[in-house]
Amino acid sequence: MIRRVSGEQWLAIGIILIGLIMAWQISDIPVDAGYAGIGPRFFPSLVVTGLIVAGGALLMQRRHRNGPDTIIEEGESDSDELEAEEAVNHEADWRMFAIVSGSLLCHMALIGIVGFTLAGTLLCFGVCRGLETRRPWLDLGLSFVLALGLFHLFKTLGLNLPALIAGVL
Amino acid sequence: MESLNALFSLGFATALTPTNLLWALLGCTLGTAIGVLPGVGPAVTVALLLPVTQSVDPTGALIMLAGVYYGAMFGGSTTSILLNTPGEAGSIVSALEGNKMAKAGRAGPALSTAAIGSFVAGSIATVLLTVLAPVIANFALQLGPVETCALMLMTFAAVSAVLGNSPLKGITSLFLGLGLGLIGIESQSGQSRFTFGLLPLIDGIDIVVVAMGLFAIGETLYTATYENKIKIGLESMKGRFWMTKDDWKRSWKPWLRGTAIGFPFGTLPAGGTEMPTFLSYSAERKLADGETKKQFGKGAIEGVAGPEAANNAAVTGTLVPLLTLGIPTSATAAIMLSAFQQYNIVPGPLLFDTNPELVWGLIASLYIGNVMLLVLNLPLVGLWVQFLKVPRPLLYGGIVVLATMGAYALRQSWFDLMLLYLIGVMGFLMRRFDFPVVPLVVGLIVGPMAEKHFRRAMSISQGDLTVFVTHPISLVILLTTVAILVVPPLLKRRQALLQEA
Repeated sequence: MIRRVSGEQWLAIGIILIGLIMAWQISDIPVDAGYAGIGPRFFPSLVVTGLIVAGGALLMQRRHRNGPDTIIEEGESDSDELEAEEAVNHEADWRMFAIVSGSLLCHMALIGIVGFTLAGTLLCFGVCRGLETRRPWLDLGLSFVLALGLFHLFKTLGLNLPALIAGVL
Repeated sequence: MESLNALFSLGFATALTPTNLLWALLGCTLGTAIGVLPGVGPAVTVALLLPVTQSVDPTGALIMLAGVYYGAMFGGSTTSILLNTPGEAGSIVSALEGNKMAKAGRAGPALSTAAIGSFVAGSIATVLLTVLAPVIANFALQLGPVETCALMLMTFAAVSAVLGNSPLKGITSLFLGLGLGLIGIESQSGQSRFTFGLLPLIDGIDIVVVAMGLFAIGETLYTATYENKIKIGLESMKGRFWMTKDDWKRSWKPWLRGTAIGFPFGTLPAGGTEMPTFLSYSAERKLADGETKKQFGKGAIEGVAGPEAANNAAVTGTLVPLLTLGIPTSATAAIMLSAFQQYNIVPGPLLFDTNPELVWGLIASLYIGNVMLLVLNLPLVGLWVQFLKVPRPLLYGGIVVLATMGAYALRQSWFDLMLLYLIGVMGFLMRRFDFPVVPLVVGLIVGPMAEKHFRRAMSISQGDLTVFVTHPISLVILLTTVAILVVPPLLKRRQALLQEA
């Protein structure tokens, strides 16, 4: 019977992939025997091995039910576990994840163009939307005040932040 | 005696200058203010405020950050008691009993015993730090690369196997951190590793970006995705504020016991405050008798006094390995270490000789900070409670703006913002699947140091790996490491077999 892959197992696959990409990159590190034969490739090789083994162990691990200490017995159905996991997934609001992520990516793209204050205002407001604010206009205003306040505070402390209008915004 | 001389002649002379007093006060105030916010623990508070210290001299900056660290610990108890939302693992137990006390109209005594207990524990632990740190630093001078490397291996084993529910997840998290730590130029050979040809990765990934990504961005993404519907109720400060005579009588012994449990745990590389607070709680529960025993689970003051003291004593304890060996044993200590590195100061046994004013000034500021925090937390608790009324969306919005600003300010680069987001997504996934983040942070910062010491050890021994078992101190450390890895699963198995029988 084909078993369904749980979220945690997808994560384990991701960890193994990271390990494999790193393993591929090790060949790009110039060979240098170093002291006593321990060169710059030695430690990365250990870490890559660790990542692949740990990811593999996570992947092979039987899914847990009722907390990580309870292991499903051999031959027992793990459908309850999948149902429980799906219940959690159903509760996940991916639209909100997208709003917060989008706000962060917009902030990254805009900070050099519109300056810290405006990019920060949009980011703060976006996060407020992502957390289902019930008073959007007030939060937009407060986001601006917060970003402007932080801009001037950190400017005073000597931090160089990009501004749309130098020294003001 | 030498320690006391150094503390008074160098330490207090440095810490009591008007500028440094101001930095300590600013650190304590900001630490309490941010630490009191729900979901914001000391690690993220110190990381968020790290950029503030960029233009400050090293002594002032570290005094301020120590104040932030302590302040966040004090502030965390307010959130746990009034909101039942612990900002970090060490405050979970305070939330258990403290919130029940608040619900029963005894929020004031719960907050008072937490604040006074934290003060007592912090002060005693600082005395122990003063006495022990130079002794351990002297001992550490005898440790060579072999022993230091073994010690770091023990740190890895302890933080990954002991923290969290699953040692496998802890080890995976550790390897992820070690992997991130490899990115950039390797210090001994000068070779670049895992940079994918990207120039911004040559300098490696900054611990501030990682800490803020994991804690601030990851937490915000998690809250937006999974916890939007959860309503949090703030308990009001009704009833009398001060502790009664009976409360004092029931609190002083737990304060002392909590300190005795917390400090040694902080000094061990077993990762922070979670375990000593639980141990203190269970000790208080076992020691309670009659009526008091019945109160446990319903709001026993001993259940707040002991764990809060253990919590703060452990925090001070983490400074012992940090200052004397240069090894961070918690996420916050790792961020503190990066603050030292920001100024090219290397914590370790030589710190007491190379930067005596800084290190003794820092220790003296802990005494001063403790007093400041007691004053800030007892009469002004009403002010901090107002911070709990900040709407959650705006709170997280502010945290994310501060985090992005901290990441951007490092190099004025959008690349760091992208890294911040990617690490945030990683933090989100780790939170979702219950992976501990402390091993990752410790792996990131201690990994490159361990590699350096390992290569030195190998060059001294001409590639002979047996050097790790022929050196007696290293052998003892490695045997302890094996015990850390092997004993807990064996005990668990034995317990399971006994239960089956």
